[in-house]
Parts: sequence; structure tokens; C-alpha cells
Amino acid sequence: MSAIQSAGERELAELIVTALNLEGVAPADIEPEAALFKTGLGLDSIDALELALEISKRYGFQLRSDDENNLRIFRSLRSLAAHIERHRTT
Amino acid sequence: MSTLKFRPLRVTAYTVCSAAGTGRAATLSALVERRSGLTPNDFGASPLATWIGRVPGLEEQALPAAWAEWECRNNRLAWRGLVTDDFVDAVAAARERYGAERIAVLIGTSTASIGASEDAYRRLESDGRYPADLRRPIVHTPHSLGDFVQHALALRGIAVTVATACSSSAKVFGQAERLIRAGLADAAVVGGVDTLCGSTLFGFNSLELIASERCRPFDVARHGINIGEAAGFALLEREAGSGAWLLGYGESSDAHHMSAPHPEGVGARRALQDALESSQLTPASIDYINLHGTASLKNDEVEARLVADLFPSRTFASSTKGWTGHTLGAAGIVEAAISLIALESGWLPGTLNTGQLDPACGPQIRRENEQRRAQRALSFSFGFGGSNCVLALGRGDLT
Amino acid sequence: MSALPPIAIEGVAFWHTRMPGWTIARAVIRGEQDASATPAPRPTPGLLAPTERRRAPDTVALALEVAARACEAADRSPAQLRSVFASTYGDLGISDYMCATLAGTPTLISPTKFHNSVHNAAAGYWSIGTASHASYTAISAYRYTFASAVLEAATQVVCDEQPVVCVAFDVEAKGPLGTVAPSTGLLGVALVLAPPRGESQRTLALRVEQGSAADITQARSGAAALVAENALAPCLPFFEALAHSTPASVVLALSDHCLLHAQVSGSQ
Repeated sequence: MSAIQSAGERELAELIVTALNLEGVAPADIEPEAALFKTGLGLDSIDALELALEISKRYGFQLRSDDENNLRIFRSLRSLAAHIERHRTT
Repeated sequence: MSTLKFRPLRVTAYTVCSAAGTGRAATLSALVERRSGLTPNDFGASPLATWIGRVPGLEEQALPAAWAEWECRNNRLAWRGLVTDDFVDAVAAARERYGAERIAVLIGTSTASIGASEDAYRRLESDGRYPADLRRPIVHTPHSLGDFVQHALALRGIAVTVATACSSSAKVFGQAERLIRAGLADAAVVGGVDTLCGSTLFGFNSLELIASERCRPFDVARHGINIGEAAGFALLEREAGSGAWLLGYGESSDAHHMSAPHPEGVGARRALQDALESSQLTPASIDYINLHGTASLKNDEVEARLVADLFPSRTFASSTKGWTGHTLGAAGIVEAAISLIALESGWLPGTLNTGQLDPACGPQIRRENEQRRAQRALSFSFGFGGSNCVLALGRGDLT
Repeated sequence: MSALPPIAIEGVAFWHTRMPGWTIARAVIRGEQDASATPAPRPTPGLLAPTERRRAPDTVALALEVAARACEAADRSPAQLRSVFASTYGDLGISDYMCATLAGTPTLISPTKFHNSVHNAAAGYWSIGTASHASYTAISAYRYTFASAVLEAATQVVCDEQPVVCVAFDVEAKGPLGTVAPSTGLLGVALVLAPPRGESQRTLALRVEQGSAADITQARSGAAALVAENALAPCLPFFEALAHSTPASVVLALSDHCLLHAQVSGSQ
């Protein structure tokens, strides 16, 4: 597995850092396979809601909080970027 | 410094207006007849798919001309509350007894008249200014409510608006007790008003806390809150020959998260402990608990466990938000008023709309109404931002 | 007339964009120093964990800074103190955001900004940051906000015989809301008030009387022009009194017909 961000992953990393005001985190430094929630970046449930909102605004589709695949979708930068790639309308 | 001891205060007048009914008698009928005030959301230009507790007729009832400066939905509902159950007359009589400067005004709200600011933004003039009818600074500040109530009641002393989310109009009881105890007032008008507005409907929606259907407190399948609007007021006096009692209160913070309660209910338990201590009551002496019971997943779970842990099975506990919706900054006063109505009438309301109770609930949490002589009640208000308040209320003799 | 017994002022804090701290504010008030030529960036709330810190809006950053500094000055652990938080307008930037978003795309309200929009946001963040289960309140009383906050905090001290931190703040208005809710810059103040413990403490004796706005103390120091356009400006006469070591009497308005007389003792 590549530890280098793809273009889509980089764009998402920038969105995450901006949307969540992650001080001192450079988008390029977010490991694609590292955990986003609890450990790793340590994001919480408010961040998940905030991210879902920003993603819907930028990529034109709704992330559903009752989607049973959310643990997998939101697990890492890579998994979230892949999900966006599959569903984006803009 | 000598210790100023807490002493119970008399509640010599009170009123409540919500979607369930205008005034105490109408509220009691709605409770007894199991008539919810919740209706499908029709508020605003693009209403969210949810249910709300809307007070009918506010659109047609402008404030009297003398109060034009304070004109807005929130103050209209405040005015309706003040003129119901002869509350304004009770305050006028108290004003004669004590003097206008000796009655404090302490009113709770979460958003006051932010709805007027929201309205202004939808109707901005081409130069970015507010439309002329909304260029009234007082309604665009949180104290819009407390200031209006003080002027409407012709009072001239201390006036404060309290905005601690869902605990606001419960905390004002404690604040009043302290002012009276310290000799800064002889009586206080406490209360709360919150009205439907975009900020709370769409704000709670953004946190996924809004239910698409009627809210079902403590139901195993509950999925969120319904927002309601309401006004309520109470007149508290140091001494009086009759009336109900504010027996005690407790306040605390969760120190956990802005929008989720402490999972072990640490703050709630502490507020409860302090309320029992100040009122010299034990869990066994409580006949009725009006629970916060918002129908949010987290609040109800934490609250159910707290009640199951600490109260005997004979205690009758319920949430009445199925009648009124979650009235946010007004929830404290509305539910204190409902508790007093329950004590006075002998009708204890159950929990409306709820089917199967969550397994976390103990035997205390009831769905059905019951007729039962009750003298001692607690009202729980556990707010956004972790602000908790428990009131101990009573009727009859103090011993 | 009604009066509270004297209580101690154990700690003072002050933060303004051009007087970022009580040391500089006191010097400016006393005419010993000019205000900062350049505006200071908003304070960084050090006692918040990273998750809360990155979410904190201006009001929270400002309130927590002065609350923390006042507790330090009082040598009191924040977790033990009850608190009173007060603001004339709350977070005007967030109110502008909420109204503008509701007017355009209401279903796209930011959950973070909404949960920061509640009037008790600063109080809530403070309790989280200090891990304090002590109760807090969050109040507003328009132009009478600071006076009301001091009276509420003092009443709690007298009734419960416990120290209380009193925090008041107002920030810069943004957008159309600023045309009816004017305020510029950041101004935050805090006091730790407590039951008196000894002769050497500076004390505060409050009493409430009927009176009109014509009778309130006017601000007259070099700081007055700097804070004049901030909604919390009515607090300044009180801090002008604290800036000097001589006893002082300050009159603030509590409501349209009600005054707060504050007698501040001398300090060593």
C-alpha cells in the first residue's frame, strides 16, 4: 500500500484540515492509511458531522450517518477519498 | 461573614403557555386527556420534516402599542404568558406590597429573539441594512426578553436574562433564592420563554438530534427531539401565607462535551444530590419527578440509569416533552409549572408517545398517567453545554 | 437600599486588543504607558485540549484567557470555582454566520458553529477545559451586563461562602447585525471574588439603589477612548478604580432605574 497521497487524497486532506481547523497539521502529513477517528488524528463525532457537511458541499453527495459502512468509510483518509471518488457528483 | 441559610420560598403565582395549552387549567386538561400539543412542522419557508410544539395564534397577536419597541415573536409569547392566569395582576399586587424596586426579574431563554435577526437577514435592504421595522436594537440582543418582561411588569430593580440552554429557566429559581436570601430583593419574577426559530431547528438538525416523527422519550426506538416553544413565569416570595414551595435546588456542570451529556451522569447526580440536601429530602420522600427526557439517545439513557440507581420503585417519574416538545430555555419553568400542577391536582402525567421503554429504565419511569396524592416533586433540567439544574418543589406543610 | 457585606477581590484580569493584559491595561489607565501600537492577535486558550481549542470561537478564546489569568492572580484552582459568564451580545461573528446561512442554505448549518452559538459556550468550554463540575451561569443584561455579572457573582460569594470567578466579554460585530448590535475589538475582563480572609485583601462592598443613568461614573482614563466602541465598555470605570491603589467609589447601572454602588477599598 502506498504511503504517498494521491491527488484526490491530497485534496481531501486539505478539506479536512481547513474544515476542522486542525492547527499544526499539514495536509501532506496525513498518513493515507492512518486512523482518522479516536486514535490517529483523534477526530470525534462533531468532526464527523462537520466533515459530512463539507464533503456534501464540495462533492455534491450526502454522507449518511446511519450508513452501516461508516466505520469502514471513515476509517482513514484513503478509505474516505475512495468513497468520495465513487459517489461524487461535482 | 455570617452564614445566610437557605430557606424555602413561596411560589405565590405561576403560569405556563405551551403547545399543550394556554394557562394552568388548559395544561392540566391536556395532561389528563393525553392530548399532545405536537404537530407536524410548518414553521418557516422550508420546514424540516419533524414535529414541533407550536403555540397557535402568535402571528395575529402583536404586542400592545406601549411595547412596540420590543415587538417580536418571542416577546409576543412572553406577553401572552404574563397575561395568563392573572399573573400580571399577581405581580402588580406584589409591587404594591414590596415596591417596584424590590422585585427582581430573572428570565431564562436559549435564543431570545434571534428569530427577529434571522428575519432581518432575509429582508436586508440593498445597502445591507436591516429593514426599518427591525431596526430596534433591543430585540437583537439576548436581554431582549428580560428587558421586555421588566418593562411590561413596571418593575424597577434587578433584571437579568439567563441563557444556559436547557437549564436556563430552572437556574433562575436558584438565582432568585440567593438574591432574596442576601436581602437584595423581597420577591422575584422568574420564568423563561423560547420561540421557534431557524437557529434551533436547523442547528439541532445539523447535530442530527431532531426526530422526524413525534418524539418518544425513553422509548427503546427513540431517535431525537422535537422542538417546542413556550412561556412560563412564577412569582417567588420570601414569605406568604399560602402557595406552593421552592424547597431547594442543585446546580452543576458535566465538564464533558458541549453537545453530549456525561456518560455516567456525574453532573446530573451532583445537581440532584445538592437539590436533595438543600431541601432536606431523601429520594424516598419524592413523589413525582419531571424528567428532562428529551428523547435524544444519550440524554435519556444517562437519565434512566440515574433514576433507576437512586430512587425507590414507588417514585413516579416521567417526561412531559411528548406534550410540549423540548422548549429549550423555557423547559425549566414549563416543567416546574407542570410539576406544581401535578402536585396540586393529584394527576401525575405519564410519558406520552412512548411505546416500549428502553431497558435502561427502572420501574420509576411511567408511560401511563396516575392519580396519586403527591407533595414533593423534583424537576430535572440537563442542558447543552453540560449545565444541570434540579429543582425541589412542594405543596402543603413544610415538615 | 440593600447592601451585601464586603467581599474580597482576589484576582483581576483584563484583555483588550490594544491592552492585552491587566499589567498593560493598568499602566494605560494610570497614564504610565501608551496602549500597544499594533492590535494583539486573539488569545490562545491554553487550557483547552486540542479538540476544543481548534473549535473555540473568539468569545471562548477571550473569555478563557481572562478567566485563567484571574484565577492565576488569585492563586486559586479553576476547578474549585463556580463561575458567572456574561456578554452583552455573545459571539457576534457566529450570530452573523447563523443568520446569513439560515437566510441562504439553512440545511447547511455547520454543527460546530451551531454548538458554539449558544450563549453558554464560553462557560461550557471553561468547565470542560478545567474539568470543573462546579456550577456556572451565563447571563446577559444589555448595557447593564457587567454590573449584573459582578452583582450575581458577589451574591453567590455571600450566600455560599465560596469563591467565584466572574467573566465578562464582548467581541467585534460582523455583517448586517453590526448595524443594530455595534461592537468593535475584543474586550474581556474577569474577577475572582471570595469571602474575605484577612486585613491585607482588597475588598468590594456593593449596594443596590434606585437612580438614573445620569448618576453613573464616567470613564476618564486614557483607556476610555480605546474601549469606547466595544459593547462591554460600561465596565471600564470599575477597572479604572482597581487600577489605582486608593479607595474608590464607582456607580454602575443595573437597569433603567437601578444603580450598583461599588465601594473598593485601598490596596497595599
